[in-house]
Amino acid sequence: MIALFWASVRFQLQVLRRSPDYLMAVVTIPLLAIAFLAIMKNAGRADLAPYAVLGSTLMTVWATALFVSGELIESERTQGTLEGVLAAPVQYQVLVLGRISIVTVLSFFGLAESIVVAWLVFGYLIAVPHLGLLLLTLLCTAFAMVGTASIMAGLFVLARSARIFQNSLSYPFYVLGGTVVPIALLPGWLQPVSKIVFLSWASDLLRDCLAPTPPRDVLFRLTMILVLGAVAFAIGHLLTKKILRRVRQTGSAGYA
Amino acid sequence: MTAVEVRHLRRTYTRRKKEPRTALDDLNLVVETGEVHGLLGPNGAGKTTLCKILSTVLLPTSGTARVDGFDVVEQTDEVRRAVGIVFGGERGLYTRLTARQNLLYWSALYRQPTKVGRKRVEELLERLGLQERADEPVETFSRGMKQRLHLARGLVGTPRVLILDEPTVGMDPVAARDFRALVVELRGEGHSILLTTHDMAEAEELCDRVSLMDGGRLIATEDPKTIGSWLSRFERVRAEGVSPELAARLRDLPGVAAVESRGDQIVVEVEEAGATGEALRLLVEAGVTSLATTRPTLEEVYLQAIGDRGLGVR
Repeated sequence: MIALFWASVRFQLQVLRRSPDYLMAVVTIPLLAIAFLAIMKNAGRADLAPYAVLGSTLMTVWATALFVSGELIESERTQGTLEGVLAAPVQYQVLVLGRISIVTVLSFFGLAESIVVAWLVFGYLIAVPHLGLLLLTLLCTAFAMVGTASIMAGLFVLARSARIFQNSLSYPFYVLGGTVVPIALLPGWLQPVSKIVFLSWASDLLRDCLAPTPPRDVLFRLTMILVLGAVAFAIGHLLTKKILRRVRQTGSAGYA
Repeated sequence: MTAVEVRHLRRTYTRRKKEPRTALDDLNLVVETGEVHGLLGPNGAGKTTLCKILSTVLLPTSGTARVDGFDVVEQTDEVRRAVGIVFGGERGLYTRLTARQNLLYWSALYRQPTKVGRKRVEELLERLGLQERADEPVETFSRGMKQRLHLARGLVGTPRVLILDEPTVGMDPVAARDFRALVVELRGEGHSILLTTHDMAEAEELCDRVSLMDGGRLIATEDPKTIGSWLSRFERVRAEGVSPELAARLRDLPGVAAVESRGDQIVVEVEEAGATGEALRLLVEAGVTSLATTRPTLEEVYLQAIGDRGLGVR
């Protein structure tokens, strides 16, 4: 299973060389960062620059995970390879995880881009006082991100037009995940919902990693990210298994 | 043990606001180990549906199908290890990647250790004549090269049973000939092969036995020579400017099944070898110069042939 995971990572890296559009959001992240930073600068809130940097990064990472989880299924269908993959003696879920994982990990390089943009364009030097914890949180976030994207990938196998899902799932998560606006500032009735979105825990903790004061309840918050990620993995696994059986029943793996 | 054993297989597709469509209807089929078995039939006969069920991509509605002794519903993993599937046409490959990258990925999907996979991939690239262009994107390949790569993909997991679903469709004659030569080699190596095709000549050249399918049902299983003889028996002569008297004389010829009038043309349906020559002689002697002979479609031939045996097709 591990060999298969790495084979799919290698494969996705080869695909990325030929189809860099999978990482398009990482190319456009400086524009997003500039927009957020400009708003905060004009509002006289230079102290919120880390929010802008993290917000643009998390939005990019989520958009990339969502895009790749849908796009890889869509392109497998378009190329007619999905049926061949389903006929191979492998767990399709493992292949999907490998492919989503590498793209998600690469999309986190957007954070470095945003930090550079803040410095070069606006002269904000983003300090990282808790670097170790930041890296650990990013790792946990990537884990949960891949888990959540695996649910999407399952749904995209079922749905003939994955792009409708992709387009409709981005902004709700930006809001509920507190990517730019912390969930504490959302309307009260929305806050309980955001607690079950791993991104809300991740974005809060990541913001705290950029604040000078030491973050509180670190273990609990990291555990929440990991637990929600693990739940997503389990749901994604079961859902994909069920959906693949359904695809075999309906004969909807290919377009032809 | 048989390579493929299908019993009372049925597959229906449910469709929204429409009657369900039956793709396979009480199908029974046996492919012996080491045999090349042809599956012949028109579009919509159910050939591809059968291939998909045998490769576990599709579930049957009822009945059973076993490949290499394993049930396609209950023992999918074992079936997938035993089967190599080659779908025809342009699709089914990662066209932006190279041939080598494609095959290495597929070898990993067939759970081959990296070293073994690399060796196998190099063997296949060499064998299928793809070595020189192994590092070029597949999208730059010709149809024939893509089909060879398809076959390499099907073989990469060293399957015992190979399913080839219309592998030569759309190929130019030279590429199709080379492809057939490869299939002959594979037969020599003991692979059991199920080959679907429209092409009787291909079936005759490659297959030990041929099954005819239509409307989701198996009509007959024969050796290819028998089916070839059916084909050579039936012929059709079209002619223009034929008088009613001449048409009547044609109708009386031995071996002529029917003479139909279609506008300015008459169509003479011949059902015995040799009768075509007689009909042509009669027409030429009467001064008819606008004429042509054609073969009826395979479907028409075997419906005619099976009809003669009273199996009540359709």
